Amino acid sequence: MDSLAHPLPAASRAGGGQRVLVGHPRRGIGAAVRRVLAGMGVRYVDVAADAGGLLAAVEAEPPDLVIIDRALLRADSGLIETLRAVVGRNELPVLVLGRFASMAERRALMAAGATDLIIRPLTGAELAARLRGHLENRLLNRSLQEVIRSLQTFHTGAVQRMQLARDMQLGLLPDDGLRTGIERRYGVRLDSHFESSSELGGDIWGARPLDDDRFAVFLCDFTGHGVAAALNTFRLHALLEKIDLPGDDPAEMLGAINRLLVGLLPESQFAAMLYAVVDTAADRLTYATAGAPKPIIGVPDCPLRVGESVGLPLGVSMKASYRNRSVEFPPGAFLFLFSDALFEARDWEGRPFGYPGILDLVRQCGPQGNGAPGAGALAGLLDRYFAVMPRPLADDLTALWLTRGTPPPTALLGSG
Amino acid sequence: MNYTVRNLGGVREIDLRGQLTFEANDDFRKIIDGIEKDGITACVLGLDSLDFIDSAGLGLLVLANNTANRANVRLTLKHPRGQVREMIEISEFHTIIHCDF
Repeated sequence: MDSLAHPLPAASRAGGGQRVLVGHPRRGIGAAVRRVLAGMGVRYVDVAADAGGLLAAVEAEPPDLVIIDRALLRADSGLIETLRAVVGRNELPVLVLGRFASMAERRALMAAGATDLIIRPLTGAELAARLRGHLENRLLNRSLQEVIRSLQTFHTGAVQRMQLARDMQLGLLPDDGLRTGIERRYGVRLDSHFESSSELGGDIWGARPLDDDRFAVFLCDFTGHGVAAALNTFRLHALLEKIDLPGDDPAEMLGAINRLLVGLLPESQFAAMLYAVVDTAADRLTYATAGAPKPIIGVPDCPLRVGESVGLPLGVSMKASYRNRSVEFPPGAFLFLFSDALFEARDWEGRPFGYPGILDLVRQCGPQGNGAPGAGALAGLLDRYFAVMPRPLADDLTALWLTRGTPPPTALLGSG
Repeated sequence: MNYTVRNLGGVREIDLRGQLTFEANDDFRKIIDGIEKDGITACVLGLDSLDFIDSAGLGLLVLANNTANRANVRLTLKHPRGQVREMIEISEFHTIIHCDF
């Protein structure tokens, strides 16, 4: 046996650092094989003279290649099966070197688990060429396995980190308690849909009570999507939570947020936002927009209304100012807000869905269409939408459908 | 997005075609590099043949405008049509970048 006292771990060896185990009962031929290997630059060669020695060497330090002389198999015909039981079926290349009596014997050796048969007689150069092929193949396989393992480890970690970040992002949105609190207090129904195009998204929406008659809702869409856009949603959330802003005046609110975001956002990033205040005593909706899609407003017995929308996106210019728009918003009215993904998304043929398509859907699914007032109009609309639009969308989609309830008949009697 | 460039004295006219989205980022950054480094005095972005722009595309226009301002180059958007015009109007980009409708 010829080996180092402290063999290097396999991963630290490359090329000439590979370890070859030769099983041969005759010392002379074993030495000849070893010389060929040495000529190839293989520095670590173990030679075992019998089956027991070969198995012990494999268990002590798994080699990169095993060469078994056929003569060794005469004493132990099940050696290859035993070896495979130790190292696995495909892991280790096992070559059998020798003269073979018949095709049947060669077939049996391959069936037992030999990787290749090297038929003597052959020259040292031929043997070296065959061995070099197997050793290079082994090296590539091991490198590939290590890369795959490393990628799998990275991927598993990345998925876990991303899931945590996604949970944090969902935590920025109104929870069920806040939503039902607003619904009960103001007699409204608020349905929402939040769908990121990848693990994290650049959209955020919110709702907050202002006083006994008024509450605010907003939808904000930062440029781009993915991690960078998501970081901006955390920025905005922190600003809205921690800074006292004029929440009951949409135009002032957008102006204040804009001044905070200019200089905070990188140059080519900004946010499209709509901020609305619903006044249930005055039956009015007041909103302001900063580059946001036009809202769709439905009032009972009136044609569907596309709200005006002009305003510089947030974070672009310190000089930006915003305008309030006020519309009638009586009981039974609804407000539909959505990020631009809804109409910019493309169908299977690559055509954008388009804003007119959204209006058609609202007509079909809103209270003037087949849908019941407020009762899942958004869910119905999105069902129809995704029946023709492929997922995942290329951009983040957020949609809010807010409906004012109609007073129950008893209240009408009481007020009359 | 595809584009053609014409230089007339110190004025560079660039006709944009197709879609100005995130996919156009690399090409458009070359245009911005040119605004910064080629010593021109004015740059006109012809939008007649631009079919579509999204928020990432608007972000590229902001970048081009900021670069032009720093390099003392007068940037103009010319003849936006359809969806592109609507996006510019909704986003009021004509208030920060000179725009010939």
